[in-house]
Amino acid sequence: MSDIKIQWPDEMAEQLRVAKGRINLAGPALRAMTLEERLRTIRLVLEDWTAADSAWRRELATTFGSDSPFETGTVREGLDAALRAWNPEALVSCAMRELAPVLDSPSLSLSPFAWTAVLAGGGIPMPTLLSGLLPLILGSPVLMREASGDRATASLLKRSLDARSPEMSAAFEHLFFTKEDVAFTEMLDAPCVVATGSDETIRSISTRLQPHQRFVAYGHQFSVGILGPRLAAEHDALRRGITGFALDIARWDQTGCLSPVILYLVGLDPATNLTIAGLLAEALEELHVSMPRGPLSVRVGASHANEIAEARMRQANERASLFEGTDSVVVLEMSSEPRPAPLHRFIRLLPVADIDTLGESLAAFAGQLSTVASIGFPETESQRLRAILANIGVSRFSQPGRLQTPPIDWPHDGMPLLSPLARFTQSD
Amino acid sequence: MSRAEIESTILEWIQQSPRQEDDIQFERLALALFRCQYDTSDTYARFCRALERSPSTVERFSDIPAVPTGAFKEFDFRCFEMTDTIKTFRTSGTSGDRRGRLHLDTLEIYEASLLASLRQNFLGDLTGQRPVMRFLAPAANEAPDSSLSHMFETLRRAEAGPGSGFDLRDGRLDLEALAGAVQKAKQAEAPILLLGTSFAFVHFLDATVEADDADWQLPRGSRIMETGGFKGRSREVPAEILRENLAQRFGIPETSVVNQYGMTELGSQFYDSSWTDPLGPRRKLVPSWVRVRLIEPATGQDVEPGELGMIVIHDLANTGSAAAIQTADLGRSVYNEAGKVIGFSVLGRFEGAEERGCSIATDIMLDASRGTLPR
Repeated sequence: MSDIKIQWPDEMAEQLRVAKGRINLAGPALRAMTLEERLRTIRLVLEDWTAADSAWRRELATTFGSDSPFETGTVREGLDAALRAWNPEALVSCAMRELAPVLDSPSLSLSPFAWTAVLAGGGIPMPTLLSGLLPLILGSPVLMREASGDRATASLLKRSLDARSPEMSAAFEHLFFTKEDVAFTEMLDAPCVVATGSDETIRSISTRLQPHQRFVAYGHQFSVGILGPRLAAEHDALRRGITGFALDIARWDQTGCLSPVILYLVGLDPATNLTIAGLLAEALEELHVSMPRGPLSVRVGASHANEIAEARMRQANERASLFEGTDSVVVLEMSSEPRPAPLHRFIRLLPVADIDTLGESLAAFAGQLSTVASIGFPETESQRLRAILANIGVSRFSQPGRLQTPPIDWPHDGMPLLSPLARFTQSD
Repeated sequence: MSRAEIESTILEWIQQSPRQEDDIQFERLALALFRCQYDTSDTYARFCRALERSPSTVERFSDIPAVPTGAFKEFDFRCFEMTDTIKTFRTSGTSGDRRGRLHLDTLEIYEASLLASLRQNFLGDLTGQRPVMRFLAPAANEAPDSSLSHMFETLRRAEAGPGSGFDLRDGRLDLEALAGAVQKAKQAEAPILLLGTSFAFVHFLDATVEADDADWQLPRGSRIMETGGFKGRSREVPAEILRENLAQRFGIPETSVVNQYGMTELGSQFYDSSWTDPLGPRRKLVPSWVRVRLIEPATGQDVEPGELGMIVIHDLANTGSAAAIQTADLGRSVYNEAGKVIGFSVLGRFEGAEERGCSIATDIMLDASRGTLPR
């Protein structure tokens, strides 16, 4: 007997319609809850995820780890660090702050979207968790298209919602289908669409939406670290900073938009630069034991091999220093010229003379820079640096070791957390 | 062996008819050329020493250190005095970009190699017949540092008949001139050969989308050679779609559309087998004076048969620079029914590309740094 599996062409579209039907049914119950009640529930769910011994986190580490390109140790550490940095109370405060006009005004009210389509992207669970929860706070049911790189988070999120509020869980559905599937087109009928993806993906989605639809897009970005001149004399700070940056690079194998792809060395002498590169290579090598890098695909491996060969050529001709570890690569360049970033624990150190030169160099990346971690600057210079970087769109300043663990209420892509997803109604 | 002796032997090999596959001769010449390039190019020698390889330790051609193509943007690989340079080809790019460069002190082997491959894999029965050729690329005097324009000019001089010419001028496709040449070929019922960059052909397809297909139907025996990818100069079209569209618009079999895989840093090129072996699997054919290895990126060792690997090329026609080149491309060996390697395939830019996570892609980051990011 043969085993025949038949999949009809619009199977996913039908599943999507069924899921949409379910969240439509759940919508009234969700909206019947007050904002405070919804916030309280989400807070409880988040407490379940962020607790020291969270069973949800443990389960996600196991299920996500077994199916992702990351090693289990890297997944576990990444989830623990990121979710424990989330303070549920901070989300509540943020919501109260952002929604204060509604809470304080007798004439202004929230009019939740009938449903919100969330098109998850990337391969890291935290943005998926948050983007699934935020519309629920506002009273809008969520239909999530899972990221192809993460098929574990959404179902666990639904179960964790169910444990705290069956009503809220009923207003959250998730599916996976490809961008070519007809279901994808139907997903874009939502009155509010939230998408995470490459510029190309975002552009493609935006051209398919009507002007009356709300579109909240999170594009692909990158982050950098900056080491300042004071480090030449502050050895302990230097070591701490390097250890922190190594962790930032190793977390999620450098594939998140909060991963540093370049460390700028500002106003440091060549000998110190070389010391920094060596220390960083050592720190990354130490992390290899507890957080080994996941296997590289042939394409990524080829990209690494190519960049390593070019760096070796420059090293042989005294234009770079190359440090190859078990699963990491550090290249100290002699110029600050931008070069390809193959990611997956491949970090370049680029020397620049001063803050102004750095600003000019980074201005080319305006709108593409997410987070910057800096150390080794006097306070006044630090403030000047932040002013320059904020001007080119950097949305978060942080410390080494904390690039990948932002607080829950950080302005992702420079946007407020909840208000882009909210709809208001005024009654005169 | 001196470089002159090596070049003379290689030239003889290239011009042999019929050409012989000769692994022993290849190995001997590759090692001799390596010694010569190691001894005369300090940049290359330093690279080899960093890898602890030298002519005294390298015994097989596959152990010769391969120069990554990107290094041609930063270093000059010359096995001769700078003042002896007679030609420098540069990779495409804008003035703000660093462009790879290949310096030559002789064009003899370069031109012999390109003509031999074109005659064998594209001209075939039309060799010596001086057919009409139209080139969808700038002429060599308009793009003096383009290796592709030089190739077309060399071919034009050696093999093209009256009515041949270049139809890309000042960055614009001269459709009228091309249409005129096609009309004449149709009237004469003589094959016409169209050669150009992939993006120029895409521009042609876009510009003639409203045209009646009959206007552009080419006479029997006509053929097309396209090369070079898109490089942001037109919309990107997957290779098989471009082939299909061109075959349809020009009314020729898909097997008459031949892709060339080449690069400025190389003296030799690789052509699709579809013209010479229309019934076999489409693959890139390797000239006898070239070896293509597919290596495992992490180890540098040859991949297992059928596996995907990085393309490394050992090209004896690269006598004045570096004969061993590591490309950024991925490929796979193609076998015949008897299990013998008969060529290789090059993986397209997007094939096998996995999600990179949400950190911005490298090329986009570089585009941003050059201020060319479309936003």
